[in-house]
Amino acid sequence: MAAPNGSIPNGSAAAGDTGAPAVVGINFGNSYASIARGLAECIANEDGERQIACAVAFQGEEMYLGNQAKHQLVKNSQNTITGFRNLLGKKFSEIPQSQIALSAPVIQHPTEPDVPAYRVQVLQPAPSPLPKSAAHTPAASNVATPRSEPISAERILSVSEVTTIFLKSLLQSAEDFLGKKVSGAVISVPAWFDTPARAALSKAAEDAGITVLQLLDEAGAISVCTIARDADLEKDDAASKEDPTPADRTALIVDIGASALELALISLSSGLSTTLHTSTVSDGSVGGDALDSALIRFFAKDFTKKTKAPLSVAPSTEPQDKRAEAKLRLAVEHTKRTLSASPGAATCSVESLKDGLDYTGSINRMRFDMEARAVYTAIGRSISKLLEEAGVDGYAVDEVVYVGGSACLPGVDESIADVFREDVRTPFKAGTVVGGGSGDPTTVLARGCALQAELLTNIASAGGEKVDEITGSFASGSEHTQVKTTSRTIGLLVPVAAESAEGSIAELGGVFVPLVRKETPLPARRRNVFAFAISPDNARVGFELWEVAEGIKIDRIKLPAPEPEEGEEPEEEEDEYEEVKSVTLAKEKYLGSVVLEDVKGSKEAKVEVTVSVSQEGKVEVKAREVAEGGKETSLSVGA
Amino acid sequence: MAAISLPALPASWNPPSDPSSSISSLNERKLIPAGRAYLHHVQRTVHDLSFDAHDAHVEEERKRHAELNGDGLNGEDDLGVGEEEEPFELLQQDPKEWKKQDHYQVLGLSHLRYKATPDQIKVAHRKKVLKHHPDKKAGQSHTTNDDGFFKCIQKAHEVLTNAERRRQFDSVDPELLAEEEDDPSSSQYQKLLKTKKDAGAEQTLFFKTFVPIFEREARFSKKQPVPMLGQYEDGKAAVEGFYNFWYDFDSWRSFEYLDKEVNEGSDSRDDKRYTEKKNKSERARRKKDDTARLRNLVDLAMNVDPRIKRIRQEEKEAREAKKKAANQKVGGPAKKTKAEEEAEKKKAEEEKKAKEEEEKAARAEAKKAKAAAANAAKKARRAQRAGEEGADAS
Repeated sequence: MAAPNGSIPNGSAAAGDTGAPAVVGINFGNSYASIARGLAECIANEDGERQIACAVAFQGEEMYLGNQAKHQLVKNSQNTITGFRNLLGKKFSEIPQSQIALSAPVIQHPTEPDVPAYRVQVLQPAPSPLPKSAAHTPAASNVATPRSEPISAERILSVSEVTTIFLKSLLQSAEDFLGKKVSGAVISVPAWFDTPARAALSKAAEDAGITVLQLLDEAGAISVCTIARDADLEKDDAASKEDPTPADRTALIVDIGASALELALISLSSGLSTTLHTSTVSDGSVGGDALDSALIRFFAKDFTKKTKAPLSVAPSTEPQDKRAEAKLRLAVEHTKRTLSASPGAATCSVESLKDGLDYTGSINRMRFDMEARAVYTAIGRSISKLLEEAGVDGYAVDEVVYVGGSACLPGVDESIADVFREDVRTPFKAGTVVGGGSGDPTTVLARGCALQAELLTNIASAGGEKVDEITGSFASGSEHTQVKTTSRTIGLLVPVAAESAEGSIAELGGVFVPLVRKETPLPARRRNVFAFAISPDNARVGFELWEVAEGIKIDRIKLPAPEPEEGEEPEEEEDEYEEVKSVTLAKEKYLGSVVLEDVKGSKEAKVEVTVSVSQEGKVEVKAREVAEGGKETSLSVGA
Repeated sequence: MAAISLPALPASWNPPSDPSSSISSLNERKLIPAGRAYLHHVQRTVHDLSFDAHDAHVEEERKRHAELNGDGLNGEDDLGVGEEEEPFELLQQDPKEWKKQDHYQVLGLSHLRYKATPDQIKVAHRKKVLKHHPDKKAGQSHTTNDDGFFKCIQKAHEVLTNAERRRQFDSVDPELLAEEEDDPSSSQYQKLLKTKKDAGAEQTLFFKTFVPIFEREARFSKKQPVPMLGQYEDGKAAVEGFYNFWYDFDSWRSFEYLDKEVNEGSDSRDDKRYTEKKNKSERARRKKDDTARLRNLVDLAMNVDPRIKRIRQEEKEAREAKKKAANQKVGGPAKKTKAEEEAEKKKAEEEKKAKEEEEKAARAEAKKAKAAAANAAKKARRAQRAGEEGADAS
């Protein structure tokens, strides 16, 4: 804000208007929000919080936002508004009234029909007294006229007004941090957000002065962030990384929010992502709040044990207990963060928890995992259900992406690890949870949105032909999002002599390398370089092109058996059997063969194989010898 | 991309017969509109490009982008500072001799020189520091002069970031001095001019010689913008304006940079004062020389300016054309009038002469008369006096 005399203080938005326009990504959750710019930065607000609580509180003449507002829940819960995002775009009649309100209750808007709103008590500054007429001026007095008392008033705020207030504060924080105006933002929305909700969010953001570049599905934000991270890793240490991230993979997104669990199974195919299946559990049994409740119950029990003062929380009935619960809920936030950061003891201290008694207790990670077992199992159940519905075995999932602060708890990862392969990628294995890398579950959404925002501004600024159509294709429901995908994996098979084959090679009659995976959006092109073994008397290189069906085979192997070579799934059972999963391949369709005669080289010949599949399913294979003056041949399979 | 090893094809293998004519039926899916890959997918669809054509397009875009943003500084905009070669002699410079170094070359700004903005200087300095910081060279070589060039960089930065000191350095910029050496003297230019045969070549020579000179000198003007030499077709007003400006040239050029160091070690005040005085007079001398130099250049330019010749010629022609036009309009009588006019003129002159002579004569007469009158009066007075004397004596 410019000073009254018009001078511009350093670091204000107007001062640094040079350079590229700033675009940010906003992760607007129901409980917490975060802002990011680019892959590296997650912006902290004035209080130094990178996870900003979605809460707005009114006390007297003041308005509190973010984490400060959360503290108002203890004494001023009736004037504190939380959980408003999920109500965006909803009619009053659609909102279930049964939930116990910890904050300001949702009411019917008094003037507008069927609109949810909040009623809060505020103090309005008193109007200045009218100037008296000159004729009746009393004798002059040196005493200053006392300021009139502010008037208590009622303020009605609709859900979108609250959202606007909150988003405006986010924007302000971002601009203060960046020192320049924010010209646009991408805001994340959950997959279940319907059209009216999206419209309401867009409108609230516009009212707050944010130019919304796109409302991005959370899965989209994550895929952007994940792919950008891959690119980053490859650039960083291409040489040292013996196991590069495959460009085509299936990823499971586990978003453990405060109040809901959102799961999405997506297929990443050279950066193009398609959603295979999603599910949302929002009954309060899973999520950060449920973990909090478990922790609160533990501490309440501990408190009673230590002080002999009865305390029953989650759910609490007595007003005193309610206040104690609110205090604990604020305090365990810190405990939870400590638990996710280190396995040691994490403390929780509350002054005057109940009856004027202070409380200090500690819990270690193992004990916490026991307390939170119910939540973990619920998460595991939901994941199994999702995989079952999607028809994908856990063994086929290549990567698990965690989102949300609660997902930083290693217990979550450990409890669901059973479902997946041993070499599945998770942020815990990559070591990006604690270190705050780009796989950090708390910031991944905001960062993804920020990258998307940069991409969108670049398109607009680069211009070119049909730029409007390209920009338009990022709107939800654009025709360009409709795409055909392959239903079978296409790969090459190099036959081997029957006598030397064993295991799966024998089953297929050769070595199989997948080229175009199933669920690859079309048109697609994949390029690989293969080194074929050759000998001087047999300088022929060739392969067959096959469509295969993939399956999962579950073997029960008696223990103690040597650890099989392939990734497997140990599940200790009493009769000393273990289940071993492995991928099975079955030839389905023979598409053709490619042969290059008389290739150069003595021991091996490098051949670049390019497979393109057109939109209609026409397959074209080009094989080119990498050596100079190499031969080339192609094969085409009609649609 | 690492190549995937595959076994050899058995010699007995023959392609299986009866290939399938198409792949399995396709699924309908919905893409998530996010990420670069989606953008590329849309671009391919919208512009109807094949993969290869799109690759070429992307590569082109990337190149264009790289050019726009310059390089280095982790892809940040380097404001066109770019990279410059660092010859061996430059790196081996003695930081103590900083007065002799070319600060722009040290910072890699030779292509910008006095035009470099403070931001560009900042960027260039950062680049050089990143490259030459002694911490980066630790253990690379064992000579003691390791941070010599780094000191040069710091000195250059110190000079160029201070507006006053930069102005002083710009005044005696080594490149500028070298260019000044090459300026032609009057005789040199005339010699060059003689080799040119036609007017076209003369013009080219003039503009080729003087455009860079005036562009170079323009930087010193306190008044901006400075009028430039312009083109051959320029009108009289423009050419005159140009020379007027350059004859009144107000230059900020100064020569403090070449001052001799005051001997700080000496306690003698007189010594210092002497040096200071000498410096001052030297500065004034240099400034005077510079002004004279510039004036000579402008003189030379004006003398040989083909435009001035052209303009004079044009004016003469215009005058003659006007006369001619007037003559043609009146035809035969006009000639007569001319003769008459001349005659009249002559007559008038004669008359005037006669009149003058008359007057002269009259004046002489009057003078004579006057003198005579005076003489008469004198005589009369003398006679009177004599008479009176006589009367007294008697």
